[in-house]
Amino acid sequence: MKRKVLVLLLCLSLAVTMLAGCSSQPGSVTATPTTAPSDGGSQTPEDKITLKWALWDYDSTPYWGALIEEYKKVKPNVTIEYTDLGSTDYMTVLAAELSGSGSEFDVVTIKDVPGYATLVQKNTLEPLEPYIQAAGIDLSLFGGITDQVTVDGKLYELPFRSDFWVIFYNKDVFDRAGVDYPTNDMTFEEYDELARKVTDTTFGSEVYGAHYHTWRSAVQLFGILDGKHSILDSDYSFFEPYYNMVLNQMKDGVAMPYTDVSTEGLHYSAAFANGNIAMLNMGSWFIATLISSLEKGDYDPELCGNWGIVKYPHAEGVEPGSTLGTITGLSITAVSDHKQEAFEFIKWVSGPEGAAVMARTGNFPAISTEEVKSIIAGLNGFPKDEQSKEALEVSNLYLEVPYAPNVSEINAILDTYHKMIMSGEISVEEGIAAMNEEVAKLKK
Amino acid sequence: MASGTSDRLARSRKRRTLKKNLVAYSFIAPNFIGFAVFTLVPITFAFLLAFLEWDGNNPIKFVGLENFQALVKDKFFIASLKNTIIYSVGTVPLTLVTSLGLAIILNKEIKGRAFFRTLGFFPYVASLVAVTSVWTMVFHSSKGPVNAILYYLFNVPKEKLPNWFTGNLVLVMLILFSVWRFMGYYMVMFLAGLQTIPRELYEAGTIDGANAWQRFRYITLPGLKPTTFLVSVMLTINCFKIYDIAVMLAGGSTNTLSVSSMVLVYYIYQNAFNFWKLGYSSAVAMVLFVLVLTVTLIQFRGQSKYANE
Amino acid sequence: MVSNKALKFLSKTILYLILAIMTAIMILPFLWMLSSSVKLDREVFNMNPFVWIPENPRWKNYVDIWTKVPFFKYVQNTVFLTIVVTGLQILTSSFAAYAFAKLDFSHKNRIFFAYIATIAMPWQVYMVPQFLMMRSFGLNDKLLAIICLQAFSAFGVFLMRQFYLSIPDSLCEAARIDGMSEYGIYAKIMLPLSKPAIATLTIFTFVATWNDYLGPLIYLKSQDKKTIQLGLKMFINQYSSEYGLIMAGSVMSLIPVIIVFLALQKYFVEGIASTGIKG
Repeated sequence: MKRKVLVLLLCLSLAVTMLAGCSSQPGSVTATPTTAPSDGGSQTPEDKITLKWALWDYDSTPYWGALIEEYKKVKPNVTIEYTDLGSTDYMTVLAAELSGSGSEFDVVTIKDVPGYATLVQKNTLEPLEPYIQAAGIDLSLFGGITDQVTVDGKLYELPFRSDFWVIFYNKDVFDRAGVDYPTNDMTFEEYDELARKVTDTTFGSEVYGAHYHTWRSAVQLFGILDGKHSILDSDYSFFEPYYNMVLNQMKDGVAMPYTDVSTEGLHYSAAFANGNIAMLNMGSWFIATLISSLEKGDYDPELCGNWGIVKYPHAEGVEPGSTLGTITGLSITAVSDHKQEAFEFIKWVSGPEGAAVMARTGNFPAISTEEVKSIIAGLNGFPKDEQSKEALEVSNLYLEVPYAPNVSEINAILDTYHKMIMSGEISVEEGIAAMNEEVAKLKK
Repeated sequence: MASGTSDRLARSRKRRTLKKNLVAYSFIAPNFIGFAVFTLVPITFAFLLAFLEWDGNNPIKFVGLENFQALVKDKFFIASLKNTIIYSVGTVPLTLVTSLGLAIILNKEIKGRAFFRTLGFFPYVASLVAVTSVWTMVFHSSKGPVNAILYYLFNVPKEKLPNWFTGNLVLVMLILFSVWRFMGYYMVMFLAGLQTIPRELYEAGTIDGANAWQRFRYITLPGLKPTTFLVSVMLTINCFKIYDIAVMLAGGSTNTLSVSSMVLVYYIYQNAFNFWKLGYSSAVAMVLFVLVLTVTLIQFRGQSKYANE
Repeated sequence: MVSNKALKFLSKTILYLILAIMTAIMILPFLWMLSSSVKLDREVFNMNPFVWIPENPRWKNYVDIWTKVPFFKYVQNTVFLTIVVTGLQILTSSFAAYAFAKLDFSHKNRIFFAYIATIAMPWQVYMVPQFLMMRSFGLNDKLLAIICLQAFSAFGVFLMRQFYLSIPDSLCEAARIDGMSEYGIYAKIMLPLSKPAIATLTIFTFVATWNDYLGPLIYLKSQDKKTIQLGLKMFINQYSSEYGLIMAGSVMSLIPVIIVFLALQKYFVEGIASTGIKG
């Protein structure tokens, strides 16, 4: 009797698991799109390896595919399999993927420094020094940015993309207002003045002289361009003049109110593509987006087709061309079974060959050479004026967020008070005082 | 002989109980196995985690009550606790009143009753992402119809138009939205409760000359006491669990909540999945659990009281 | 007599007035959604004059949404998840509920207490450990994770048990005397009787799974596993100013739930009446 019921129980649980098993199939079949192994790779069948790579927005980002294609030609025996984790919350998702054991990734893309710090502290990444030394890579090629992500003398990522912030402007808007274009050498006063000049507050046909995305970097980080401050300081009073400038602009209708941009979740690209924004401070990645979206017809050339870029404005007495930088890097996971091959891959991507692929697709590789700049400035769709070309010259690059052990918490604190200052919930002074206090608590 | 029979009887009774048990367990098993593995185990784990320090990768460290001690000094935790409580205190009574009112109206013999009942349920079944995106548009501070009405019809000057999704107003917004979304749901519960009040009571009341208000006050309300009680408990618990409504209405493009709109579950999520302070996150979760447990205990008390009445 | 009639008329009028206001509050956001979904982006916020139906309805919004994002994939995932979860939930919880309501066995109360105790436990309290556990089972970024998460809820068992309690025991006794097995009683007597409860549970589970956001957010990462809610949210973030498109997507995400709800709603109040309240 007992046996009979036991058998029944077993059958039931089997049925459940089978049902569950079947049901999981539609998901797993399409799980990881694989690039087909190359035909020419058959000469060394015993060396066939697959590297698993985590990245985001494969379809809308041209360089992932281009890099994989090119690498196939260099190393036919290595197959790169990618998993698209999406760009929203990419680093959060990646950290979850690498938690505990059982991650399958060999190579992971590092999108920002706070996320990098998390992964480093969780001991999920492989230190790259031994490999770098063995391969004889000259880190000075990266212009010092690798120093800002070195942790206790160890480097865990190799940057392959390095973006810097510039001012995008819409020439048609300036022409219509009869105002001169911005220049590569503007102080913040001049920038503010220019934005006000080109603004039109007529209801229903507003033209905004400037636009600021909701990220705190878009406002706060004007303050770090003099090279004397960083967001790791515990005293943020240097944010104050820039908060005042931007908040006054919003108050006077020169820039769209923060609350509107935030509630709508207005994307900066959508804002710029609407053709009623004169100047937008944004990272150089937007160049590639603008070029390709105009080419594909996603953006109306009547509205934003006539654009240009200039260098970031600078504080009095600071060299023009000082700007914010954002790097994208590649790391090897600590659990990878193919660390050497993974390193070969990231070395290639971050090296000159990868850099050429990046430049060809309109992106700025981390090793920036004159050649790379001229490739980008020569791209079809890049503005033809001399100023825009010159704007690609960077004199000082400061990372938006350098490495620090608590950087993701610091980031969260600065974010929350930025939001409150910008939406007028608290005054600039109160906000900065709160940032100082909370960050000091963390450091203790 | 006699002893043999009783022996056999005992054995067969035993066998029968065993069979009975096994049949019953076979009924329970499919659900219970899943429930035990995916709910009971993690709950046990959650309790332990609150006393540990762990980031998901590095070795686990036992820290005793440290996580809880840190909570007291944590400004963001206090803000999230405060916001959660204010939100619940605002939402519960408002939802109770509106859903009870609706239920009473829709319990009458009126035309299109089924239609209205269905309609009331719409906001609840509609997807949250969809309805919150409508709300953010309708209450848009410079372009939305609500502020347009304030501007055109009530001549509120432009610079005084409210920003519905920031500052103190954001909690008001969350409360209004929740009332709108949940009132249909609780209306159905009240409707069900109304069915349990015997018709004869009303008939007797009418004969005794009680007017509509008196009938409501002395028949309906007392009759609905158990329902009201249950509804308020369920509502309170659901309010404590608020997360996605807050993120979708107040999170903006970055899906982050500032001090003015931060709620407990958001803080649990942030500590776990952004900072990887799993122990700390679990400690916050324990506070949530204690809140819910308190309300549930009050419910049990009340229920036994009403059951005896 | 006349005044009485007038009073009745007046109260009826007030009643309908209140109803009309409530209806407006309930339905206006949906009408706005529908109206915006066929508008150009710049028409959406045009308040003066405001039109409900634009002169040239832009049906293209409904076409574009399928091409701009893999909306079809999202629909597929969501439909699949919802059906499997709802099916499993109803099957397993009505099964278990039968034992709790109609059978006697050892440890019955203890096991049932475990269920009851967790109903009050918010999922958010244990979502982190649960995630870690699922991860170690290799269920991260698998649709199966959401199924495991949603399909075995204590709530379902509780709801079905309450309903079964209201069915007289004598029915089962009679069937037992006729020699029917417990499985037979469950399948041939209880199930057909429990339509309202099943309808209620179906609506609850269907709505909860279809609209769930945090669960999929934690578990489903890759693009081809996303559900409608995640996809819609992502879409809103990406195409933030294309209001017409966003509303078209929103309308589409509502249709299936509304169909299910309308199909089952006639059992619904009855179902809640016989299950939820007397607990």
